[in-house]
Amino acid sequence: MSMDLIMVLRGQYAAGEDMEQRLQDLSDQALLAMKLGYWGVAVPSHFSGAPLQYFHQTSMLAYLAAQVRDIKLISAVNLLPLHKPMDIAEQYAAIDVMTGGNFIFGTGIGYRDVEFKGHGSPMAERGRRFEENLEAVRRLWTEETVNMVGSHFELVGANCPLKPIQRPHPPFWIGANADIAIRRAARVSDAWIINPHNKIETILRQMEIYKQTLDECGKPMPKDLPMMREIFVARTRDEAIRLARPYLEAKYKTYHQWGQDKAMPKGDDDLGMDFDELLDDRFVFGSVDEVAEQIIALQKPIGFNLLFCGIQWVGMPHEQVTEQMHIMAEDVLPKVRQGL
Amino acid sequence: MTMDLSLNIRGQYPQGDDMPARLEELLEQVRLAEQLGFKAITKSQHYSSTPFQEIQQIPFLSRAAAEVKNLKLITSITLLPLHKPLDLAEQLAALDLISGGNLIFGTGLGYREVEFRAFGTTQSARVQRLEENLEAIRQLWTEDTVTMVGSHFELIEATCSLKPIQNPHPPIWLGANADIAIERAARLGDSWMINPHNRIDTIVKQIETYKRALDKAGKPFPDTLPISREMFVGKNREDAIRQAEPYVAAKYRAYHEWGQDKQMPEGDDNLGMAYEELQDGRFIFGSVDEVAEQIITLAKATGVNQLGCPVQWVGMPQSHVIEQMHLMAEEVLPLVRQGL
Repeated sequence: MSMDLIMVLRGQYAAGEDMEQRLQDLSDQALLAMKLGYWGVAVPSHFSGAPLQYFHQTSMLAYLAAQVRDIKLISAVNLLPLHKPMDIAEQYAAIDVMTGGNFIFGTGIGYRDVEFKGHGSPMAERGRRFEENLEAVRRLWTEETVNMVGSHFELVGANCPLKPIQRPHPPFWIGANADIAIRRAARVSDAWIINPHNKIETILRQMEIYKQTLDECGKPMPKDLPMMREIFVARTRDEAIRLARPYLEAKYKTYHQWGQDKAMPKGDDDLGMDFDELLDDRFVFGSVDEVAEQIIALQKPIGFNLLFCGIQWVGMPHEQVTEQMHIMAEDVLPKVRQGL
Repeated sequence: MTMDLSLNIRGQYPQGDDMPARLEELLEQVRLAEQLGFKAITKSQHYSSTPFQEIQQIPFLSRAAAEVKNLKLITSITLLPLHKPLDLAEQLAALDLISGGNLIFGTGLGYREVEFRAFGTTQSARVQRLEENLEAIRQLWTEDTVTMVGSHFELIEATCSLKPIQNPHPPIWLGANADIAIERAARLGDSWMINPHNRIDTIVKQIETYKRALDKAGKPFPDTLPISREMFVGKNREDAIRQAEPYVAAKYRAYHEWGQDKQMPEGDDNLGMAYEELQDGRFIFGSVDEVAEQIITLAKATGVNQLGCPVQWVGMPQSHVIEQMHLMAEEVLPLVRQGL
């Protein structure tokens, strides 16, 4: 077994922060990820994100493509039901060309009403729009001419003349919290991005659903299986909790306000609880040794080989982020690899 | 009077061409444009653009922004009725930040059926969508919270996750061919992007239409009035026409097939004519002196002070593009400025 790291450039900042400076920070973090041997850099997508500010995913990925080489750039995730497949196919084909074929198309279904309404896309239709959009993107990337009538678009002799470099197309990854979405990830994508929010026991149960669905589809376990966790390394677990708490507590309060937990399976669908309760069995906190041990303990039953590192949170200074990046790559990862 | 140049990045290539290599060439053009003192670059937007392939507009400009400091980046044009204002407002705000506040948002209606259908809209809705999208984007850029119900979106206390650096917002320019669209440009935009297709005598008439509409709206004549023209500098006019013919003729055949000319005013609405006839009164071809004279005449007749140079046509080698850029910036422009 092996393990590689993905840096999540969450890139969310408080209102009033100087975003030109923060852009420089993000760019530096991407560059550092490359130098430290991270496998990839992931850029999320949200709309109407008050009280937070951040950069739009496509503009950011294109800008980062100028800064880094030979590292995967991942949309994690693109909120596919909001968009039109022609737009997504053409823009992300461009990203694949710009990254020299290093783009991974991570998608998800989304959960915020303000985003669905803002895009004129009913939340109730998100499952259907997700599936038909993904199918249309796949066809636009692999076929010369596409005829397909969807519920909210019509491709009539349409084409995406700029094809991605990767053939047949960049890998499709799907971020999923709910059981039904995990089945979909098994069915229509190349990998499930195991989400950062659910508890470990929930994920173990969901892993069985994922495997069972793969079996039903006659698909093997993916070669690359990513999982995301919130992580913080300090001298001790107590210190890690103490240092990370202000950032992560605020972040999960926002998730709860946005309604992220409504997208999670029953019995593990409350992110509004107390921080102490929240971090229990959910976050990876501790000393280098403890964090490495926890990752190993997670990896063995779950089987992921890529770890999305949620190590950059709102309000966290750039220097602290880069310090965590160094510790993860230089201290934790070698121990994890040794232990697997 | 004065004159500045913009480099119109057409960036269209035959299918099967090596696009990573072409992208590198385009970025070389962008860097050279800055070195040669061009004021701006522009990038067009097309979807389903067979038989040509190109890099999508906003990813391209976001990538190009990483190469330069002092160039204006102009979307010329963004097909506004196709898009959702929340998506576009956030994407363009990111581009404004990435470019250090150098974005000019050029926008317009679009005219191709395949695009409207792929985006789940219709030709007949395009004017309404343009107007309401523009209004929504303006509000998202300038107001903290926006509530606005459009025909195809609902902003319910929505916010733009990033405000543009430019205050109150990046300039909004409208591209327009038809008289009614020119009146709209005067009413809604900060400038009119004069199209490259109409004959010069048509444009001189349309300038009067534009001025009357500005008067009616109580708005002053814009500081920057841009025009684009097809141009080619050769040893003499015959040489320029001969060298440009294979490229230009092919391009205008495609415009005609796409239906561009249906957008143009009566009496000047056929781009399907023979090359000889097409270039007469429409394109700027000749020796350095002849090209400069034609630009001076055009500027005096219309008041334009920024000239878009689409010096690159499909099939034209990079060396040829670079040569034309040097000629325009180093030889033609000084003569034009002298003559104005």
